[in-house]
Amino acid sequence: MIGQRIPKLDAPDKATGRTVYGHDVRLPGMLHGRIKYSKHAHARVVRVDVSRALKLPGVKTIVTADDNPPTMFGYGKDNTPLKGQVVRSLRDEVAAVAAVDADTAEEALSLIEVEYEPLTAVFTPEEALKEGAPLIHAEHGSNYFTRYRYSHGTLEAGERESDVTVEADFELPYVAHAAMETSVVVAAFDHRGHLTLYSTTQIPFLLQRDLSEALGMEGSEIRIIQTAIGGAFGRGLDIYPFEPIAALLARKAGKPVRISFSRYEEFLAAPVRQPAKVHVRAGATREGMITFRDAYALLDIGAYVSWGSVTPLVMMETTASLYRIPHSRFAADCVYTNNPITGAVRGYGNPQSTFFVETMMDRLAVALDMDPVDFRVRNANRPNEETPQGLIITSCGLKECLEAVAARADTARQKDEGKTMKDRPHPSSFIPHPSKKRGIGFAATLNVGGGARIYRSDGCGATVKVDDFGHVSLVTGSTEIGQGSETVLAQIVAEVLGVNVEDVNVLNSDTDVKPWDVGVHASRTTFIAGNAAHIAALDARRQLFETAAEMLKTTPDDLIAKDGHVVAKVSGKSAELGKVARARHYREGGQVILGEGWYDPPTKLVDKDTYKGNISATYGFGAQMAEVEVDTDTGKVRVLRLVCANDVGRAINPMAVEGQIEGGAQMGLGYALTEEVIVEKGRVMNPDFLDYRLFTTADMPEIETVIIETDDPQGPFGAKGVGEMGGTPTAAAIANAIHDAVGVWMTTVPMTPERVLKALMEKENL
Amino acid sequence: MQPFDYFSPKTLPEAVEILSRHNGDARVVAGGTDLLLKMKGGRLAPKAIVNIKRLAELRGISETSNSKLQTPNYHLPITTIGALTTLEELRRSPIIRERYPSLCDAANTMASVQIRNLATVGGNMCNAAPSADLAPIFIALDASAVIAGPGGERRVPLEEFFVGPGKTVLESGELLASLEAPPPVGPSLYLKHSPRAHMDIAVVGVGLAAQLSGGVCESARIVLGAVAPVPLRVRRAEAELIGGPFSAERIDRAAKIAAEEAQPIDDVRGAVWYRRKMVEVLVRRGLTAIGGIEN
Repeated sequence: MIGQRIPKLDAPDKATGRTVYGHDVRLPGMLHGRIKYSKHAHARVVRVDVSRALKLPGVKTIVTADDNPPTMFGYGKDNTPLKGQVVRSLRDEVAAVAAVDADTAEEALSLIEVEYEPLTAVFTPEEALKEGAPLIHAEHGSNYFTRYRYSHGTLEAGERESDVTVEADFELPYVAHAAMETSVVVAAFDHRGHLTLYSTTQIPFLLQRDLSEALGMEGSEIRIIQTAIGGAFGRGLDIYPFEPIAALLARKAGKPVRISFSRYEEFLAAPVRQPAKVHVRAGATREGMITFRDAYALLDIGAYVSWGSVTPLVMMETTASLYRIPHSRFAADCVYTNNPITGAVRGYGNPQSTFFVETMMDRLAVALDMDPVDFRVRNANRPNEETPQGLIITSCGLKECLEAVAARADTARQKDEGKTMKDRPHPSSFIPHPSKKRGIGFAATLNVGGGARIYRSDGCGATVKVDDFGHVSLVTGSTEIGQGSETVLAQIVAEVLGVNVEDVNVLNSDTDVKPWDVGVHASRTTFIAGNAAHIAALDARRQLFETAAEMLKTTPDDLIAKDGHVVAKVSGKSAELGKVARARHYREGGQVILGEGWYDPPTKLVDKDTYKGNISATYGFGAQMAEVEVDTDTGKVRVLRLVCANDVGRAINPMAVEGQIEGGAQMGLGYALTEEVIVEKGRVMNPDFLDYRLFTTADMPEIETVIIETDDPQGPFGAKGVGEMGGTPTAAAIANAIHDAVGVWMTTVPMTPERVLKALMEKENL
Repeated sequence: MQPFDYFSPKTLPEAVEILSRHNGDARVVAGGTDLLLKMKGGRLAPKAIVNIKRLAELRGISETSNSKLQTPNYHLPITTIGALTTLEELRRSPIIRERYPSLCDAANTMASVQIRNLATVGGNMCNAAPSADLAPIFIALDASAVIAGPGGERRVPLEEFFVGPGKTVLESGELLASLEAPPPVGPSLYLKHSPRAHMDIAVVGVGLAAQLSGGVCESARIVLGAVAPVPLRVRRAEAELIGGPFSAERIDRAAKIAAEEAQPIDDVRGAVWYRRKMVEVLVRRGLTAIGGIEN
């Protein structure tokens, strides 16, 4: 079962439209909620008059800040469901309507009168930090939200030891999750006043706690039911105001209320990837050994705190621990502005930091006149060593990943010589011209692969039940967000119990049923939930073997589970699983087969002052090779090939691993070349898929995946996480390939034709 | 979306009558790929919708003999492209493929198969987006708009059809019936620059047609999309080419002049300097290719 290419168990239902997503939930009497957003990026709210809207036939209720509980919510405790005194961004919610249908609710929004008194707004962190700048949250006393200061070694020593140093400024953009399913929630109250929330959250148990603050209720009064999730990519890692707003509307109306975002609203009001302005310096010796790396990042976290403000923890990790870095410093300032809220997006701060770290690696290699792969291999992290940051690296295939992509790069070059250009969709591409130049580039990545302890618990619970018919149910605390966790967890349980993967049903959607889990993030599910499922399955098997030993007149250690049976190795006698379960069940003092598992990895929260500590039980590594063609007349970059090698410990399901890598690469390609939420004066200028350009199938290059197996000592069957690594090094590999092709260093993503051409023109003018 | 009246006339006179009666408050729908988005997004709230998809006379691509026009290649027929022709039909039409392959190229750069099966040639014209891909190439091919209205039929050169973004010469009660393209005088080409390979709109589009004879340029039409409020013919650039050898130097000068004549704006799709630069690059590339085709 382990290592088999098993198609996702949930795929047929998704492909045939049977899956119930949040947008499909219809409860009896359900109303439709719509939110009225602020007209100003920063203003005092003078008056909200809902009287005309309330008179519109079909409108059932309206909530405003008057309906807020007195508590604040969110990671920064700076948010309320609706805003009553001050609006701080164009996505600020000032009122919400519940009506019999969405059109009526929408019409009612236009009848709500809001009077504002505009305040001076700030739209860059630099402005926000100026003396006398307006305070976004007056009670906070400053527009600084947090500062991160990390170092190991001594920078001066690093500089002294350096024969070459390089320095550059980078600017990284806002990016949207662009999940196929827009944000959606359905809130319903029962006769006790308890809330059931149908949600696409990635953190059901933390959301109970967050909602309890946002609504002034007890966590025990809140039940979260997760519907099938049509893409999340980190969007569901925090509470956002539309969720408590739906609950406030439902409570006031006495009816279930659904809020589902339009695509426009999704671009306007959903969180975005953390942008960054970064200054980086790095050095190396003549022999090609890295001496130091120093980075400062200025982060605009928007008007309220969400997880964007914690991305420095990941940026810090890449800066200080990707490769062996004797001296390192990382500093970041997180600043409030009147811009959109930044949240968690796949890879967290890692696509950002890998872009600057890995393009700086190529700059060093060029300065040293050294092969970029050779330079990386010399400095690569190695198995079984602790980094100065305190990361305990166990399994590590970084060198193997680099060598794997390098080997394929060479063949790529030979293969392409003398090859005619592929058919192109653009007629302009049929015209041959000498302005197209080709190049190859490399980049590597380090990512947590065994959880990431950012809460006191990084655990996950599981139970495995074997019923009277030999059918197996795994109840896991973890969440399926399309990444294939149900299939992988079913494979782990099936392997232990010797059954087919189709015979394992995975239940993972109800906080009243499933045991606790911190949430689906940090590439942790295969490792953490996999270990929990493994422990629970072993416990269930122990119970089966105990009874089977009596039945087969042998001892448990003589037994194996195979083909739906418990088999005695010596005698060859066997009993079908259901029969064993019934034998244990239907007798005096009988019991059912119910295995329990809980896994919390042996990791630590980072030290709150030094930020050092082993945050993950293992680390994943990867490398990519991009081959590009740059049109030097237009600046357009076409990626011809992308080779991705990833150390995944062990591939429990190679097909799922490839899917994760390819999906990650698609997001990485978009980050590199086309995707950017353009924000001007707090306003999203491209709130649709016409001008927010995802990489489509027509743009995708050939992607080759190479799976490197290092058999992680703590992973379930040796596996570790891969969910985020597919996209983290892509932009850097492409930037390095662009440099190889045309000799310019790109410092901003996406590397649009306009930006690339500008860089080329600046080079010409030098 | 606001409520509206819905009509589905079976004949062209009936459609004209309904449109006239609504005096500008009615909107024509064919593929609906632009109109419905605007209505759902609240940017448009017409009182009435007139579905013209049942009007058989607006369908199909046909050829009619050409005795009246004093054009080169007058022995060849005029091609009529019904307003309801879908982009996919245009792309796949053997007539178009043979006579105006540049129109196939233009259609091929547009949207997705699903959208191309709905969206119509007439819709692409009447939506009058400055970036419409078919407009520059149809104008380069010297096409005319055939307009049906209360007073009967009238013809307008397509380059005069567009008035501004989203605005055409269509009067209340009128609708676009078809486009007429004269026989091609020589090679033509549509070039589009957009960040993505497909599913993207033009940052710059260039429609080119030329008549070359013995290395001399007899006539040239250069039409730019997405760099002015309407598809823009750049006559100074054309003049630079006409009457002289079709050489690299003249092509280069024409390309630079075309870039000067462009009137782009800064927006999220491109900066002014970049759009001008792309006009220059595409015009140069396109004319060079046309020269190559002729040789």
